[in-house]
Amino acid sequence: MEGITLDLLILQLFTGLALGAIYVLLALGMSLLFGMLTVVNFAHGAFYMLGAYAGIVLLGFGFNFWLCLLFVPLVVGSFGLLCERFLVRRLYGRGIDYPLLLTFGLSYMMVEVVRIVFGTQGMQFDTPDMLVGATDIGIGYFPTYRLFVIGVTFAVLGALWLFLERTPYGLIIRAGARDPQIVRILGIDVARVWLVVFGIGTGLAALAGLLAAPLQGASPEMGNSILAEAFVVTVVGGMGSLVGAVIAGLLVGVVVAMTSLLAPEMAQVSIFALMAVVLLIRPQGFFGRAGLMS
Amino acid sequence: MSDIILRTEAVGKSFGKFRALSGITASFPRGALTSIIGPNGAGKSTYFNLISGAFAPTSGQIVFEGQDITGTPQHRYAKLGIAKSFQITTVFPQISTLENVRIAVQALVSRYDIWRPRSRLVGLVEQAGELLNTVGLWDRRDRIAGTLAHGEQRALEIAMALASRPRLLLLDEPTAGMSPEETRAMMDLIVRLASERTVILVEHKMKLVMGISDRLLVLHHGELLAEGTPDDIRRNETVKRVYLGQREH
Amino acid sequence: MLNPGLIAFCKRHRVLLCIAFLVVFPLLMPFKAIAVNILIYGLFALGFNLMFGTLGLLSFGHAALFGAGAYACGIAMVHFGLPWWLGIIGGVVGGMAIAAIIGGLAIRTRGIYFAMVTLALSQCVYFAAYQATSLTGGENGLRGVELTRISAFGLSLNFVDPLTRYYVVAAFVALALFVLSRILASPFGAVLEAVRENEARARACGYDVRMTRFVAFVLSGAFCGLAGSLQALHLSIVPIETLYYQTSGLVVMMALLGGMGTFFGPFIGAGVFLLLENLVSLWTVHWQLFVGAAFVCCVLFFPRGIWGTLLMGRAR
Repeated sequence: MEGITLDLLILQLFTGLALGAIYVLLALGMSLLFGMLTVVNFAHGAFYMLGAYAGIVLLGFGFNFWLCLLFVPLVVGSFGLLCERFLVRRLYGRGIDYPLLLTFGLSYMMVEVVRIVFGTQGMQFDTPDMLVGATDIGIGYFPTYRLFVIGVTFAVLGALWLFLERTPYGLIIRAGARDPQIVRILGIDVARVWLVVFGIGTGLAALAGLLAAPLQGASPEMGNSILAEAFVVTVVGGMGSLVGAVIAGLLVGVVVAMTSLLAPEMAQVSIFALMAVVLLIRPQGFFGRAGLMS
Repeated sequence: MSDIILRTEAVGKSFGKFRALSGITASFPRGALTSIIGPNGAGKSTYFNLISGAFAPTSGQIVFEGQDITGTPQHRYAKLGIAKSFQITTVFPQISTLENVRIAVQALVSRYDIWRPRSRLVGLVEQAGELLNTVGLWDRRDRIAGTLAHGEQRALEIAMALASRPRLLLLDEPTAGMSPEETRAMMDLIVRLASERTVILVEHKMKLVMGISDRLLVLHHGELLAEGTPDDIRRNETVKRVYLGQREH
Repeated sequence: MLNPGLIAFCKRHRVLLCIAFLVVFPLLMPFKAIAVNILIYGLFALGFNLMFGTLGLLSFGHAALFGAGAYACGIAMVHFGLPWWLGIIGGVVGGMAIAAIIGGLAIRTRGIYFAMVTLALSQCVYFAAYQATSLTGGENGLRGVELTRISAFGLSLNFVDPLTRYYVVAAFVALALFVLSRILASPFGAVLEAVRENEARARACGYDVRMTRFVAFVLSGAFCGLAGSLQALHLSIVPIETLYYQTSGLVVMMALLGGMGTFFGPFIGAGVFLLLENLVSLWTVHWQLFVGAAFVCCVLFFPRGIWGTLLMGRAR
């Protein structure tokens, strides 16, 4: 345990925030899908993985990283729209199990198609030149790219907040999350709203995958393990709660970073242990509505 | 004074900041049919749910046969001798009518027996059959419960409630959503049941229960407005003002 | 389509038919190992279905119960040198023990939360096994669960012979099928139905819903633990992936494919899944694509599963 200084702890805190930022983006999408559509998206990890590969493809076409940040969510989100329109939509009203199982099968297919196209080996994903290196944050040097990930996530959070709070569409989405019946009574085309929500959710997952790719590379299986972690974040935050997703995402990121510094062998267990503890105290998570449990 | 079967002492319930029920103290005599009435939002259902143990009160005590039962888990109520029917019909919809009641009867005898065939439990089917007879559903015994008419499902629910041989039967708006014929049959059944045990009834439509109740409790805005015999209530000026003044629908 | 007399015959002699099927089954299969696999995963799926089909609770953590059985059996034999039959008993107990822990924590939650909590807790078990290298072999799996010869009732059987191995496993599976059918027909089986159908009414009838779920979860653990220990004996190794959450996904898939509302459905689902996997992997390494597609189609078009759809057709 020696050699652990306060500065090191603070640096690790930032590492945790960067990791947490990825979780936040994933959990936001997941929570949005659950809160609005009561769909538990088991393909969320696969959309995350698609985000990384879509980035590779677009970079191959000569796009730069900044354009990728814009286009990857759009491309993958559009694919998400198609999935909703032709597959998931048929299952609304059939309970929570069927969409879950459908997306589970879907993720199998997506992973395998990526294996066929890009091979089973993982691929390298270079950090964009501008973001290579480290930046002095006062207490020491911190990888610039990780700072960038934190920044992008907060920018996305801000944009999402503005969209939900300040646009008429956001108002409908928020009302719909609270009570779909009301939205329907108001004569709004709920199906279209749900379609858009699915697009946003999967687009956010893709953005998370793109941002994670320079940190860990891209591989067909990259979504598998993070899916379980994203579930934990969503559940800890309270399913359907966007605020919960943000807070739980950052918390889980920091907890993982801290345990991997202090007790590396406990790092992966810590996530699930955290969740078990939270659920024992508050079965619906931080901000979950108890009613959603049934 | 006659024997008191159930007493609530200053029971209140709040949901967050909203106070649904402020301390209600009332006694229910054994053997009587007591109706709890009041306009919409009076707190009838909250009061019913507290008595029947669906949720625990935020304050106060519930005493059944001299024993404090506040906060007793729901599944123990059957054993205490209290049974209820819900406001929303709750039967086992994909199981036959007879098996519905048989499962209810079984709760007294066997809950965790994983080995003996259930047909080996002696007398359960017969008891279930008798209960179906009591509520007039014997000829429906082989129908899947979910396919019964609304009124029949409510009757089935009462048969299931009777399975635990309750000394106190709680009914939450048993005629809700029923046709006039079904309502009449249900009121007949309730009168019959009340002749053998204590019944507490929550009802929105005052007219229905005036004639059959021994006692009435009137709730308004989460408070006990009046209690007494139907004649007392009819003469009560406050009740007239807040309740009878409104047109019933 | 089917003759009603034939159906009545099948119903009356279902026990005999089951045994006959188990006897003939390996002879119909392309190779014996897959027949053993189908039995083991079929049993796993049946144990899982006790929660999902019978009680209506979707668990995404059954890999932990299956894996606990496999590891308990393996550890008993490898580290403690116990005989195989004690290994199997250990597997059943191990499955029940993990089920009691996971169930005890998860039973408070319902619906989607139950699925997520069981998933997370089973991942805890996975990472714990991953770290406990000295006991479990960690990443490399637990090797050396060797069983070559079985001596019982004065008989000495060669467990290496595929057909003998099949019949030994089949004997355990038949026993488990019998026990499971007893449970479903028992008074407790009626309580399970009641809880699935209407929780509030079951509670009002006087049934302790949480306790009922807990008992069912532990029973489910016994069946999955048995399946796991048979798997350990069959493979003579316990791969760490046994505990990974995708194993849970696999068993959900099998149950759904076969028809979760039926007794034999999960078994048939396991059989079809493994056969499909085997056949497709003969001509392409990308079998997951087809399995995924089959799964999606199944959810969309045959939500009752293969067996469930057949039974529906018969009822019509």
